[in-house]
Amino acid sequence: MNSMICKPTESSVYLPSIKELCIFLSDYAAGLLGCGATCIRIEKNITRISLFFGYDSEMTIMPSHIHLTIWNKEHTDSYSIIRRMHKTGISFDMNTKLSKLSWEIADGKIGFQEATLLAERIYHTSSVNPRVVLFLASCANASFCRLFGGDFISMGVVFIATLVGYYIKQIMLEDGADVRFVFFCSAFFSSVIGAGGHIFGWGTTPEIALGTSVLYLIPGIPYINSVSDMLDGHYICAFSRFMNAIVLTACLSTGLCGGLFLMGLGCF
Amino acid sequence: MWIDILQDAFFAAIAAIGFSCISNPPRNSYCYCAFIAAVGHSIRYVLLNNEWLPIHIILSSTIAAFVIGLLAVYLAPHAKCPAETCLYPALLPMIPGIYAYRTVAALLLCLYHPEETLFGHYFYLLAYNGFTCIFIVLGMVIGATIPIFLFKNTSFQATR
Repeated sequence: MNSMICKPTESSVYLPSIKELCIFLSDYAAGLLGCGATCIRIEKNITRISLFFGYDSEMTIMPSHIHLTIWNKEHTDSYSIIRRMHKTGISFDMNTKLSKLSWEIADGKIGFQEATLLAERIYHTSSVNPRVVLFLASCANASFCRLFGGDFISMGVVFIATLVGYYIKQIMLEDGADVRFVFFCSAFFSSVIGAGGHIFGWGTTPEIALGTSVLYLIPGIPYINSVSDMLDGHYICAFSRFMNAIVLTACLSTGLCGGLFLMGLGCF
Repeated sequence: MWIDILQDAFFAAIAAIGFSCISNPPRNSYCYCAFIAAVGHSIRYVLLNNEWLPIHIILSSTIAAFVIGLLAVYLAPHAKCPAETCLYPALLPMIPGIYAYRTVAALLLCLYHPEETLFGHYFYLLAYNGFTCIFIVLGMVIGATIPIFLFKNTSFQATR
């Protein structure tokens, strides 16, 4: 891969100092970590950019920090930074744009200063319209119900349960509530609505409606990322991502249990 | 059978689009996610429900995830996005949510019934559903990740 990267010539490209590159790359890596990129992708992108500018990079990816050191080729000078990851939430769009940026730098299409400006713009990319996400997530969970064998009435119950639960999640997160408490509340309200099938005898598959009503909260991407990191040998990061996902799953399970007990379905 | 397969593919595609939008993907990746999820989920459906040789859900999920991984690696350069962007949302409809729900339910019932016989029964349900859930997720992720590691050059140059 390295042989395929264009090398800059001093006359044509602004060569950043070790410190400048280290600041840029630590921010870049923190952005990638924050948007849910796997460790192998973060390492590859950082190595690609640093090699292009003629520097070596060494990096430790911690659960919520990046520890990056940039060396010159002779290993006589270095600069290290520990940077906290950006709290952007999972964003494949940002992951894609940052990965593209690394190739644009490595192929010599853009210079260092332009890349710094572009990266800043990418860190502040706006996300999908929350109302669209709300509707699509509700449709997705209703489809999920169908995949598990639910009938159309159960799909309707799940759609409403998801709509309400996800809306609560969105407004609580906007207000800056703790994410674990948000998961608890969303699961609680979704399960209360999902229990409607049981209480009122709607449809033939109320159990599937109840079970599916909270599944939109399962943190699937962190689970998948943790196994991917484990396969690549990043055990600390894998364990951290796994534990984060477990904590969120425990919170949603507690919310689900609370909803079931409230609706008198404690014994299922 | 064909209608069931098409219905499974259709709902898997909708689930993939809906769950992927939570993770804020690039706009052009939605159709790839939907296509890959539809193919992967219908393959799992056929493996699980065929009359000749029905395969256990763990192995079926692993095989389907491997196909999803291959498709994601192949299509990522066309979508101009990292393979994970197409891969992960396509895997989400296969997450064994009902097994996870049954595990939590069995755990609650264990705590609710201290008598040995009933406790033993619900503990069996807890272990069965819990293990099945864990091994489905493991099989899925390992199956889907293998193509990314096998074809590293294609996977990591997709955005070039």
